[in-house]
Amino acid sequence: MKLWAFLRSFASAFFHRSRAEGEMDEELRSHIQCRADDLQRSEMSRAEAERLAKVEFGGYQKFKEECREERGGFWIETVWTDIRFALRMLRKSPGFAAVAILTLALGIGANTAIFSVVNAVLLQPLPYPNAKRLAMIWSTWGNETRGPASGPELIELRNRTRAFEEIGGIWVTSGTITGTVEPEQVRLALTTANFLPLLAEKPQLGRFFAPGEDRRGAAPLMILTDGLWRRQFGANPGIVGQTARLNGNNFTIVGVLPRDFKLLFPDSRMADVQVFIPFLNDLEKQNRDTGYIRMVGRLRRGVTVAQAQSEAESIASQLRGEAKEYAEQSLRLSVLSLQEDDVRSVQPALVSLFAAVVLVLLVTCANLANLLLSRSGSRRHETALRAAMGAERRRIIRQLLTENIFLGCLGGIAALGIGWVALKWILSLQPEGIYLLIAAKLDGWVLAFTLVLSILTGVLFGLAPALSVARGDLLEILKESGKATATGKSWLRQLLIVSEVSLGCILLVGTGLMIRTFTSLLRVDPGFHPENVLTFQLSFTGSRYGTVESLTNFLKELRTNLSAMPGTRSVSGVSHLPLDEGLGNWYSYYWPEGAPVQQQNTVMADHRSTLPGYFRTIGATLLAGREFEDTDDAVHTHVAIVDDTVSEQIWPGQNAIGKKLSIEDSPAGAFQFVRESVVVIGVVKHIQAHSLTSRGRGQIYLPVPLAPRPVYSLVVRTTAPMQTFAAYVQQAVKKLDKDLPVSNLRPQMEYVEKARAQTRFVTVLAGTLAALALFLACIGIYGVTSYSVAQRNREIAIRIVIGANPADVGRMVLRQSGLPVVVGVVAGLAMAAVLTPLLSGLLFGVRPSDPLTYAAISVVLAAVGVLACYIPAHRATKVDPMTALRTE
Amino acid sequence: MAGQAQLLPGTLDLLILKAVSLGPLHGYGVLLRIEQISRGALLVEQGALYPALYRLVRQGLLKASWGTSDNNRRAKFYALTAAGRKRLRQEADGWNRLVTAIASALGAQPEEI
Repeated sequence: MKLWAFLRSFASAFFHRSRAEGEMDEELRSHIQCRADDLQRSEMSRAEAERLAKVEFGGYQKFKEECREERGGFWIETVWTDIRFALRMLRKSPGFAAVAILTLALGIGANTAIFSVVNAVLLQPLPYPNAKRLAMIWSTWGNETRGPASGPELIELRNRTRAFEEIGGIWVTSGTITGTVEPEQVRLALTTANFLPLLAEKPQLGRFFAPGEDRRGAAPLMILTDGLWRRQFGANPGIVGQTARLNGNNFTIVGVLPRDFKLLFPDSRMADVQVFIPFLNDLEKQNRDTGYIRMVGRLRRGVTVAQAQSEAESIASQLRGEAKEYAEQSLRLSVLSLQEDDVRSVQPALVSLFAAVVLVLLVTCANLANLLLSRSGSRRHETALRAAMGAERRRIIRQLLTENIFLGCLGGIAALGIGWVALKWILSLQPEGIYLLIAAKLDGWVLAFTLVLSILTGVLFGLAPALSVARGDLLEILKESGKATATGKSWLRQLLIVSEVSLGCILLVGTGLMIRTFTSLLRVDPGFHPENVLTFQLSFTGSRYGTVESLTNFLKELRTNLSAMPGTRSVSGVSHLPLDEGLGNWYSYYWPEGAPVQQQNTVMADHRSTLPGYFRTIGATLLAGREFEDTDDAVHTHVAIVDDTVSEQIWPGQNAIGKKLSIEDSPAGAFQFVRESVVVIGVVKHIQAHSLTSRGRGQIYLPVPLAPRPVYSLVVRTTAPMQTFAAYVQQAVKKLDKDLPVSNLRPQMEYVEKARAQTRFVTVLAGTLAALALFLACIGIYGVTSYSVAQRNREIAIRIVIGANPADVGRMVLRQSGLPVVVGVVAGLAMAAVLTPLLSGLLFGVRPSDPLTYAAISVVLAAVGVLACYIPAHRATKVDPMTALRTE
Repeated sequence: MAGQAQLLPGTLDLLILKAVSLGPLHGYGVLLRIEQISRGALLVEQGALYPALYRLVRQGLLKASWGTSDNNRRAKFYALTAAGRKRLRQEADGWNRLVTAIASALGAQPEEI
């Protein structure tokens, strides 16, 4: 609608202008006629009178132009004239136009695509009401930062805060929906009643939880996401009020969330929560030191994150003074804006990519400037002619600049197409962890960005050539009679080559470092051997697995059944697979038994609950002692296996086997934590549990009967193909429990690949951009060298005629054209050395000053650059003196 | 051409305003009127008149409308607006002050110092 109105007003202004133009012509002509009438009275023929009147009037076109300028609103017309002229010029040289537009489309298109990602992830507010006021509140326990809060902590904070309007909490676990067509394991979130209203205006059906509905004893209610509602409930519009079975209990469905609702939290496992239920618990009565709740708050209007932070600090210090649990573990609270926290892990990567793409654009500009300079010879003649006919220099520069900006805009239009394709491709790379990426699209912001960029590009690449064309002595230029000349401008061209090569060099070095990082990631020893290990997940909820015994029996039986599968070498299970970020982590303090109080509550370790044979199955290295056996149950022995990190931390240089460790376990059932003493029976090599690049906490493994958990991942080392395995597993599980859904059937390798995904994403994109820059730089070098050879055809011919060896001539051209390439490489390496430390956060296993990368890049770039020179240089040796001299 | 003076920069607008203040005129008429009221002493380049007229219209000092000239030609007539009248008064005052000042400066005799 707006666009239409704009077009209409533009068109009417246009018609109005052409009428005004006609009137102006009529007025000036009328003046000349009147004058002629007067002159005729003095005995002059009409023809003679009119001629004289015209002469007296002066430069008709010049005054008309001045009138136009005085009339105002004149620029639209000038621009229009200039654009029409530019179109004519481009149509006259379609080859140039095609190369220029294609180059621009690549350069700007890459920017469009990357910007749409940066815009969606970093610039646009999260899709929540008052998104700017949402903040995460993290607990710090001892040395563990960014931890979850305990129930009492949330309630205390909520009661005391003045900075926050609301503070909600969420805990994500796993649950089972039954009673529908097919039982399904779903990601389940337990929330406070006020949590969902923080993140959505209203549900698409029904309502949110009401205050108090999250208390112990309240009726069990449930809110579904749009996806689950469609999949499991056939998008039934009358769903509200019906009951669904979750974990064996009936829940009344009270609402369905909006279609586009998504939990965009720093914690990737939250992204696909499908069912929300209230805590149904009195949070204030829970353990003060069992942290599991993620807190999100909405700041009061006008309160800054920094103010909220200082309030949180003072509340934490009050809490430390009031309860010994908080004091012992030196609780602290930190407030971070939700958006900032969300993009924390991807920001460096995206900013680096954006910087890279800007470099590509600069290379594009340098390339085009060069292209235009090559054409400037013929353009100088034309503009000199126009200057001779009375055009002002300012006017000519404006015209040339308009022409270049117009060219930039044409490139920008083509860039939208390329950007669209590139964005599709980027999205298809599906980088893990950049989940805000789904929102990336070519929206108004991106269009505006592309437009502005096109215009800026036009100015940037067009200014130097425009100035150079419009300068110069008229007479000299006209005397040259249209011959292409490059007098005095070759230094500018050389400079452009130097900058092109050096910019490309920076990009290549950055990319080289990313490739080195990726190869380091491939070489990382994660502490286990993921090849041939297939996995799946089971969620044990509901009354059937209410006792520890029922759970252990089920797992034991399943393990026996799976062992019978052909191709199986070993079967085991664990509460939390390495590199699987889909589950809540379990970690707590540990210390050697009998440690003094000040040594307690200092270090935490991840706690894993495993079946016998786990380390053998995933290919971990047992350094000492033995694995768990079926006989290691809670009744007879309290045993644990620790990794070398734990044993080094508390018994450095000693044999850990047989030593006693104080840990938290729950032999009475999941979540019923008690502090107990266990005997270490084995030491295993550290397993990279959360990332390939950082070592992370130590790990303590407990047998299932000591630490039953609601979710287990079964691991099977087998030669069976995935499909056979999947079918067998489904059947084996169904035979034991037809209501138990199998989920996350996948090779362990997939988790490893996910852990490399972000680096892969950055590496692939950086590689593409660097290749693009290299390609553009090559075109530039090739173009300039070819041009200079063509320019010097005559000189080369003369050299050859007076006896120069063609091979020497080729070497001379190569030397002269190669010099800027070499200078560019050196300058580029120097700039890269200054800039690459900024990439440190993205690098792993390689230093920003990695000599191998620098050496490889300079060799590649120099070789490619010299090759680009070589082809035209070779052509120079083939110059036929007779033809060359005759044509000149 | 003896007896004719080139216009000082900026004086053309003033002359046009004065010429039009004596009654609406078309472009050529403005030219003739300036010649007439300056007794042929001021020379205006014919074409240069029009950019100045367009400028004065854009500034809202003149208004233009189409009509018929004495010798029956269609022509655009210019008339002074209220703003134009005010501007003419200011510019004329300013000009007179300047002329008086310059004249008295040039007429200064050694004994007056």
